[in-house]
Amino acid sequence: MIAILHTDRFRVRLPVSRTTRVLIGLTATLLLVLGWAAASGALGISPWEVLRGQADPLSVQVWWQLRLPRLLLGVAVGAMLAGSGAAMQGLFRNPLADPTLLGLASGAGLFVAVWIVLFQDSGTGSLYGQFAAGFLGALCVCLIVFGIAKRQGGGSAAVMTLLLAGLAINTLAGAGGGVLAFIASDEQLRQLSLWGMGTLTNALWRTTALALVLIAAALWLLMLSARELDLLQLGEATAHAAGLDAARLKRRVVIATSLGVGICVALTGVIGFLGLLVPHCLRLWLGPGHRLLLPASMLGGALLLVVADTLARTVAAPAEIPVGLLTSLLGGPYFLYLLMRRNRAC
Amino acid sequence: MLTLHQAGLTTTPTIAPLDGTIRPGELLAIVGPNGAGKSTLLSMLSGFRPAEQGELHLDGTPLREWPIAELANRRALVAQQELPGFDWQTDELLSLGSNPSKSLVAALLDDLDLTHLAKRSVLSLSGGERQRVMIARGACQLLSRCSPTAKDGGILLLDEPTSALDIGQQQRLMRQLHGWATQHRMAIVCVLHDLNLASTYADRVWLLHQGQRIDHGLPNQVLNPTTIAKIYAVELQHIEGGPQGKPLLALAP
Repeated sequence: MIAILHTDRFRVRLPVSRTTRVLIGLTATLLLVLGWAAASGALGISPWEVLRGQADPLSVQVWWQLRLPRLLLGVAVGAMLAGSGAAMQGLFRNPLADPTLLGLASGAGLFVAVWIVLFQDSGTGSLYGQFAAGFLGALCVCLIVFGIAKRQGGGSAAVMTLLLAGLAINTLAGAGGGVLAFIASDEQLRQLSLWGMGTLTNALWRTTALALVLIAAALWLLMLSARELDLLQLGEATAHAAGLDAARLKRRVVIATSLGVGICVALTGVIGFLGLLVPHCLRLWLGPGHRLLLPASMLGGALLLVVADTLARTVAAPAEIPVGLLTSLLGGPYFLYLLMRRNRAC
Repeated sequence: MLTLHQAGLTTTPTIAPLDGTIRPGELLAIVGPNGAGKSTLLSMLSGFRPAEQGELHLDGTPLREWPIAELANRRALVAQQELPGFDWQTDELLSLGSNPSKSLVAALLDDLDLTHLAKRSVLSLSGGERQRVMIARGACQLLSRCSPTAKDGGILLLDEPTSALDIGQQQRLMRQLHGWATQHRMAIVCVLHDLNLASTYADRVWLLHQGQRIDHGLPNQVLNPTTIAKIYAVELQHIEGGPQGKPLLALAP
């Protein structure tokens, strides 16, 4: 496709594909939003002054040590949740698959809570333990969900079963969390409740740096799967005949999603519905092809989470609303709307 | 060319071992009652369910030694109607699984009377229109991935390609399949329910019953009223004087 720029005297034809244009547009928007977010907060700090060394030492400290890692973590978590939502929807060939709805996030959350309450000592290994627990939790749920999906075969009945399985896992994880809260010490309880509602407050360089690397790896794995996810939409037998190794694709997406979502949850708790909301809206705009949908969802998720988090920490400043509450308030009704529309179509 | 050497499946649904050759340029129909194992056999021919006994060879190499990606250059499958999960545009869907030229896409859309639907979303199409889109996609995969040095056009496997088509479209499709078979030296294997379609258009027929191929050969030999009446448990009226002297089978009232 060719973009046409109209200027006063002549037309310039740019050999730029729609994919490139959309991705550049989204990236530019994300950068603008990051600029706004970097300047907003309880302390009015101008990022320009910090970067040019003109701000006072306290502002510099707050900006570098608190605000910047938080922004970066917001970008990474938003990209991961929305990207994994898009990939899971492709894998299950259904627009209602989402890491929160299928129970991945709460499974990861339960494992992390178990780690915090039962195993964590105050040593430095705790961070890695938390990541590993998140990954394992998400992986377990992923395997359970896949086992169920395999038994059910295709079709819309299978999707309902998946959603019900997700509901059961979410309930189970909720109950498990309740039990853990009973046996937790006061200190652990404080830690659990800070983390559990879905918030980016825990962003410190020590935690964020490692998370960024791992999430980038997971996103890269998902990007590698884009073309194959397109093929899978033909149905498994036809896709196999068209050159798709479905087993390898599933392994890759399951590992990337579990790793990424596990780490997101370990750091930020459950931030719901991003994985449903973002890919779904973008699909309406961009069509279902994953080579564009996946990167666009990642950028869109980052954008939405940075905006939501900035609102969460500024609207009631100096108090802070957990951003997970905001995304659920936005995503929950949207999910209900989708369900209603689907039922009418059936 | 696909050859079967006592190839079969031992786990349910089973296929009793069978020999056979599927040659470039021919149209082979697989017929049989419900549950005879037609789709299962197709899935074995495609390699999706690898043969559990015996061997299949494609162009002289055992099917299971072909890398999945290379196999896709030589054979395509159009499974029974499966709704694509998302809202693809017709011409985008045609390009899934290959990287076709614009002219090939246009030619195939024209072949199957789909040109006016090129920019429509596939979920908004009727069942019959969608079925033709999926068939065009299979042909597109073979035609665009086939190397120019290949000696034939590969194998196109179709599972009940006419199940949602009206009789006009059935005729156009079957003629088109013949056209592709001769023009590109493509081998075309169709699972068909309509025995008269098989008798009119197929070069050869395999008749399946309870996982066994009980007869194979020319349509007018295999599709004789006595055998058909027996294995389908149906009362037939035999009408002589069909097209080119081929017999027609009609249900007795």
